[in-house]
Amino acid sequence: MSEWLESAISRGHQIDDWLAPKRTQAIDLLSTTPWPTRKTEAWRYTSLRAVQNSKAHEIETKTNLLPEHITNLSAIELVFVNGKLDKQQLPDVLPKGLSISLGSDLNKEQQSQALANFSDIKPKRHLFGLVNDALAQDVVIVNVEDGFNIKQPLRISSLLSLGAESHTRVQVTLGKESHLAVIEDVQAEGDSLCTAFVEYQVSAKAHLEHYRFALQTGSNVAVGGCHFNLLDHSSMHSTIVAFGSDLSRLDTDIIHSGEFVDAKLNAIYLLDGNELFDLHATVEHAMPNGTTEENVRCIVAGRSKAVFNGRIHIHRDAQKTLAELNNRNLLMTNTAEINTKPELEIYADDVRCAHGATSAQVDKQALYYLQTRGIDRAKASVMLNFGFINELIDLMPNTVLSEWIRPIIRNRFSAMEVK
Amino acid sequence: MSNTKSLLTIKDLYAGIEEKQIIKGFNLDIKPGEVHAIMGPNGAGKSTMGYVLSGRDGYEVESGSVTFNGQNLLEMEIEERANAGLFLAFQYPVEIPGVSNLEFLKASVDAVRAANGEEAISSSELLKQAKAACKQVDLPLAFLKRGVNEGFSGGEKKRNELMQMLLLKPKLCILDETDSGLDIDALQLVAKGVNSQRSEDRSFIIVTHYQRLLDYIKPDFVHVLADGKIVKSGDASLALELESQGYAWLENGNVEAKIEG
Repeated sequence: MSEWLESAISRGHQIDDWLAPKRTQAIDLLSTTPWPTRKTEAWRYTSLRAVQNSKAHEIETKTNLLPEHITNLSAIELVFVNGKLDKQQLPDVLPKGLSISLGSDLNKEQQSQALANFSDIKPKRHLFGLVNDALAQDVVIVNVEDGFNIKQPLRISSLLSLGAESHTRVQVTLGKESHLAVIEDVQAEGDSLCTAFVEYQVSAKAHLEHYRFALQTGSNVAVGGCHFNLLDHSSMHSTIVAFGSDLSRLDTDIIHSGEFVDAKLNAIYLLDGNELFDLHATVEHAMPNGTTEENVRCIVAGRSKAVFNGRIHIHRDAQKTLAELNNRNLLMTNTAEINTKPELEIYADDVRCAHGATSAQVDKQALYYLQTRGIDRAKASVMLNFGFINELIDLMPNTVLSEWIRPIIRNRFSAMEVK
Repeated sequence: MSNTKSLLTIKDLYAGIEEKQIIKGFNLDIKPGEVHAIMGPNGAGKSTMGYVLSGRDGYEVESGSVTFNGQNLLEMEIEERANAGLFLAFQYPVEIPGVSNLEFLKASVDAVRAANGEEAISSSELLKQAKAACKQVDLPLAFLKRGVNEGFSGGEKKRNELMQMLLLKPKLCILDETDSGLDIDALQLVAKGVNSQRSEDRSFIIVTHYQRLLDYIKPDFVHVLADGKIVKSGDASLALELESQGYAWLENGNVEAKIEG
């Protein structure tokens, strides 16, 4: 076991609060889990050295960090500063049907309910999910009542000052026939370490629109997860945009627990320098008639490294499942690295399922087309490479967010292109 | 007319893809302002002609020469040919999701302008021109924001090709089976667009399998392409003749007889 994990376990033991029963469970599991090595399948291409060497620690002092302004976005801001909920940044009045509360502020009855739901969706196999269970500083509980369509998106920002360590946890429940958009982002000043986990319970006929922006770079270490449990006739549309850092890893689980669930997941990574980003996306089709569409696109430059593991598991009873997984990658330099592994496990016989992964240069036909219109090859390649990513940005349901992120991605892409 | 300098001269061209020879001794001379129709059965090499002239990768020229506006076309890059005024309207235009039509049009118009020593067009001026062009070919303005040809119907793709032609103002337009898959209304619209662009200094090669487009775009010359070369040339009446006879006579090995007759 690594020193880092030993320290995490011992810190976890010292926390005595309403979550103690769950913390103990997690610590018990952690104590028997070997620290991942290259031989551990889930960490085969991603070294945990950056975690082991991290000097980040929990910082009590509040900083004046504010989430980056997103032009034209009017969101309900839920801000964690170094792992602690900054209550001052919460709006005084929330839209009708929405509640946001801190786990430690709940009454006993509410806490026992929250405790029952805690870590119910996030699978136990995620090592850092267990670390988060053990060390979560503030647990925030978000509820949308049945039938409410919350028009304003909820933005969950985690802000970390230099050298800070944080473990944030949010439990989101969408009631029946409700609608909510959630934006998750992390901003860090460097040498930080965070585990940011969010669990989503999406009740019958509810719709979740979800974004996760993992744009922290450099020496910021982030290991987190988004876990979705979807009930009958519910749907979700998720967009993940990631830059890499010394270590940036995200685990997502989409669980079709009801019938006729529709799930869409689009992920974009743009990596440069020595950055690494690792997405492990699992889809569990446990019930019939579900659809999943997953598009993952990476552009890697410099000596960066992209890891994608896309697993779709279709259980025996999940007849009439439609699942598609598409992963396309572009290598800008021959020193960059892409490790991709689509995995389909199908136990039902009446399903339609497709997957594919390609690592390629630019589409030759499209390149030719642009050239026949006078655009030189170099410029045409840039347009197509950006278009490759932009196609998924175009699919973001919230145009305020797509208009915000597009130039950010374009700038990063231009910088990659220059080298 | 004979004193006018040629815009395009193709001499004894042999070309093909990989090892397969498709164009086998092709000759054609086009003067500014002329409209030439090239007709022929499937597999005659009609589309290959367009690809070879545009410089598509994989299409190799074995021998022969192509002079375009006084320059050796075969030595030019694909984009240089376009910037020199060659435009190929594709039979099956490619879809490019993620690259907006407007962004693409700007890059394209700017490239052609730069080649002519002109400054880049302002975004507002381009938008104005693009809107007018959309109107002329009856494409909804929303299509300017969509990905290039993304989710467009066959007819919409053809009209998008025409829209680009209107903006780029080429010297020579090659329309590769632009009529295929179009209903009569769309066909008339395309023809109207093309006719509006006919001028003394702009030439057209209309590649088509059927005569019907030529009811609306009156060609100066009609050529019959078979097995990689022109086997018969004539005026617009040749197209009608082909329509009534079909192409079967070409395949029966009596090409020579027919030409002599």
